[in-house]
Amino acid sequence: MNDFLFDVIATELEDAVGRENCSTRTIDKITHSVDYFWLSRMWADRGLRMPEGDFIVAPKDAKETSAVLKIANYYKLPVTTWGGGGGTQGGAIPVCGGIVLDTKRMNAIYDFNEPGMYIECGTGTIYKHLEWAANERGYATMHYPSSLTCSTVGGFLAHRGIGVSSTKYGKIDDMVLQMEVVLPNGDIIETSPAPKHAAGPDLNQIFIGSEGTLGVITKAQMRIYDQPEARRFRGFLFHNMTDAFNAGRELLQKFKPSVMRLYDEAETASLIKKIVGVEKKGAFMNVAIEGVSEMVDLEEKILLETFGKYGAEDLGSEYGEKWWKEKITFFYPGHMMDIPQCFGTMDTIAPYGKIEKIYWEMKKAIETNFPQAKFIAHFSHWYEWGCMIYDRFIVDGKDVPKDPHEAFRLHQAIWNCGVRTALANGGVVNDHHGVGIKLGRLMKEQYGPAMQVFEGIKKQLDPNGIMNPYKLGL
Amino acid sequence: MKFTQKSKEHLDACRFCWMCRHICPIGNATGQERNTSRARALGLSLVARGAVEYSEDVVNNVYECALCGACVKECVTGWDPVTFTKEARLGAALDGKLPPYVLKMVNAALETGNIYGEKLGNELAGKIRTLKKSETLFFLGADARYKTPKNAVGAIDLLAKLGADFTALENEPDSGYGMDFLVSATSETKKIAETCAETLNGYKKVICYDPADAKVFRREYKEWNVGIKAEVLTFTEYLAIMIKDRKVKKSDLVFTPQDSAILARDLEETEPIRDILGKIGGVSEMLLNRRDTMLAGNLIMNEYMPEVMERVALDRWTNAKNVGAKILVTESPAEYALLAKTKPADLSVVTLEEAISQCL
Repeated sequence: MNDFLFDVIATELEDAVGRENCSTRTIDKITHSVDYFWLSRMWADRGLRMPEGDFIVAPKDAKETSAVLKIANYYKLPVTTWGGGGGTQGGAIPVCGGIVLDTKRMNAIYDFNEPGMYIECGTGTIYKHLEWAANERGYATMHYPSSLTCSTVGGFLAHRGIGVSSTKYGKIDDMVLQMEVVLPNGDIIETSPAPKHAAGPDLNQIFIGSEGTLGVITKAQMRIYDQPEARRFRGFLFHNMTDAFNAGRELLQKFKPSVMRLYDEAETASLIKKIVGVEKKGAFMNVAIEGVSEMVDLEEKILLETFGKYGAEDLGSEYGEKWWKEKITFFYPGHMMDIPQCFGTMDTIAPYGKIEKIYWEMKKAIETNFPQAKFIAHFSHWYEWGCMIYDRFIVDGKDVPKDPHEAFRLHQAIWNCGVRTALANGGVVNDHHGVGIKLGRLMKEQYGPAMQVFEGIKKQLDPNGIMNPYKLGL
Repeated sequence: MKFTQKSKEHLDACRFCWMCRHICPIGNATGQERNTSRARALGLSLVARGAVEYSEDVVNNVYECALCGACVKECVTGWDPVTFTKEARLGAALDGKLPPYVLKMVNAALETGNIYGEKLGNELAGKIRTLKKSETLFFLGADARYKTPKNAVGAIDLLAKLGADFTALENEPDSGYGMDFLVSATSETKKIAETCAETLNGYKKVICYDPADAKVFRREYKEWNVGIKAEVLTFTEYLAIMIKDRKVKKSDLVFTPQDSAILARDLEETEPIRDILGKIGGVSEMLLNRRDTMLAGNLIMNEYMPEVMERVALDRWTNAKNVGAKILVTESPAEYALLAKTKPADLSVVTLEEAISQCL
C-alpha cells in the first residue's frame, strides 16, 4: 500500500472510531501480533517479528464496528478481531495485515438483569470483570476457564470456550442468551431474544465458534447463577483409567457434578504431584458437587457409592479443595510449559465408547513417531454421553530446533499426527480451544463435503473474504 | 538498552502470560492491549533481542504504568513486571531517551527540589510556621505540599488536635519518590535520597503523610544503601496508635476504605485504617480490598496522562457504587485528588483525617 492510500484509510478509520482509537504505533502492532499460540511465541522468542496489522482499531460499539467493516470492505482490507489475545490457536494473529479490530473498548455493562438472570455486556469485557460485577451483587458467572482473567466475553464466544465447572453449568454456548453481531457488510443484527425456540436454526450457534470469520459479536447477554449454598470437593485415586471412565459415565446418569477432572497416570505423577501434592500412583480424579446443601449431601452419598464400586480410593476433600484454590496456578509461567519447550494441547471429544481408545492411540502415535515428546493428559469436561481429552505433548527445549523454520516444521508434524489420529478414531479437530490458523488445514479432513456448509455461509456473508482470513479453514 | 539478567528472566516469563491483565488499573481504564504487563514485557523482550528499537514509542509505553504492583501481587509464581519496567525507565534515562514530559519533571526535581517545579502555597507555609520544634517530623511529601495542600493543612490540624508533639518543614527535602518513579535509581535519585536522609536523621521519628514517601524511606533507601536512623511511620499507623485508647464519638456513618496500593502491597499495611474507621463508624468493603485493592489515581501520571487518570478514578467509583458504598476514605493524597475530581453526585470521598476529625 502506498503512503498516500495508507493515509486515506487511516483518516477514514480515525473518523470512524476517533483518532486516539486508531493506532499505527509500533508497540500496538507488536502487541497485537503475538497471541498464546506456540508458533507466534516461538517466532518472537527467536527475535523475529510476527505478521502485524497495519491499523489497530478499537471501536466502542456496534455502530463504530459497522463503520470499520464498511471501510474494510470498500478497500478490501483484512480484518482480524482481537479480544484478549489469549487464544492458543493463532486465531487472533493478523496473518494478512490490514486491520486488527480490538474489542476491549466494548466493555460496557448495559443491563444487570436479575429477573432474567443475565448480564448484557459489550463483548470486549474481560470475563473476570463480568465475574466481579456478578459477585458484587451476590451472583456468579460459573464460567471459570484458566484464561478467565486473560480473555474477553467475545473471545470465549468466538471459539466456543469452556470453564472448569462445565459439567453442571455448560459450555459458553449454554451460557449465552441473545447476541448482537455486526456482519462483514456492516449490517448490525440481533439473534433471537431467547436461545431455545423453533423459529428456525439458532443464529447464536452460527456465530459461536466462528472465530471472527463471519462477523464481529459486539454485545451478549451472559447468564448468571446464584452462588451455591455449598460446594464440596472429593478427590479419588483410580487404579486405571478404564475404571475411572466407567465410574464417571455411571455417575453422570445420576446427577451432574460441577467439576470432574481425571488425570492420567503421567499427569498425576507430574502436575498433580507438584501442585496438589498427591504422591500416590494412579489416576487422580477431582469431583466438585455444589448447589443447595441438602442436594449436595445426597449427591455426595451417591458419588461415594458409585465410585466405591469401581475401586476408587477416597482421598477426602483436602486435595480437591487445594486443586480448586490452585486451579489457575497450573497456568502461570513456572508451572506451565513454556519456551524453549515445544508443546501443544490437542483436546478432542468423543462418546464414552471411543474416548479411551482415542487417548491410547494418540499417546502411541505421538510417542512412537516423536520419541522426543512426552504425552500427558487429563479429562476435564464430562457429559452423560462422553467426555473430552485435554492431551498435551511436550518436547524439551534441548530437542527443539533452534532454527525457527525447523521448529515450525516439528510443531506442525506433531499436530498433524495427533489430530489425524484423533479423527481416525472418532474424535474431532478440537474440543474447546478452537481452530484458528493452527488447525484450519485439518477442518476439511474432519468435515469432508460438510465443509461446504461453512464455506457457503462464509461466501454469502463475507464475499470479499476480509474477515479473519485463513482461520477455521475458510 | 541493556537489561540485567534478573530483568531478562522476568521479561521472558511475562511476555506470553496474560494472567494479570484484569487487575491493571491502567489497562482497565484504557482498554489498550499495550497497557498490560505481558505487552510491555513482549515489547521489551523484543528490544532485548534486537528485533525492535528502544524507540520513543516503546519508551512511552514504559511510562504508561503506575507501578502499583497489582500485577506483582497477582502473580502466584512471583514474576515482577515492576522490576523490569523500572529498569527500562532507568535505561531510558541513561540512554538519553526520556520523553519530554518526563524530562521536564526530572529537571524540575533537580532545579527546584520537587518534580512539579512548584512553590509552597502561603496557607500551608503559614501553618507549618506555627509548629514548634520537635523530635518528630511530619513529612508531607511533594503530592500533598504542591497538589493537595489543603489536605496537608487538615492533617496538621488533626495531629495538633490529637495533642501530638511534631513539627514539619517549610523547606522539606525531596524524598526521591518522584525521581524513583520516573527514572528509578539514577545517581541523581540517590543523591536526592542522601540529602533527604541527612535531614531525616535529625529526628527520632518521621511520620509520612504520603504512603509513597514511607515506601521509599523504608524500602528503596535500603536498596540504595541510604541509611535512616529515624523510626519511619505511616500516617495511618500513627493515627491508629493515637486514637486507639482515645474516646471518640462513634457515628452512624459507614466508611469504605480505599486501600492505598503502596500501603497494602508494598508496606503490607491494611488493618490500621480499618481499626480507625471501625472506632469512629461502620466499615463496608469493596470487592477488591486490602492487597487486592485497585489504584484510584497517581498524580505524577496525572501530569502527562490526565484523561487516563480520571478514568482510573472513575473505575474505582464504579467498584464503590456496585457494592453500595457511600463514603470512600483515602490514605494517599493522589487518590484523594483524583477521586474528588471525579466524584459522582451521590457519593463522597474524605481523607482519613477528615473522617476522624468529624468524630473528635
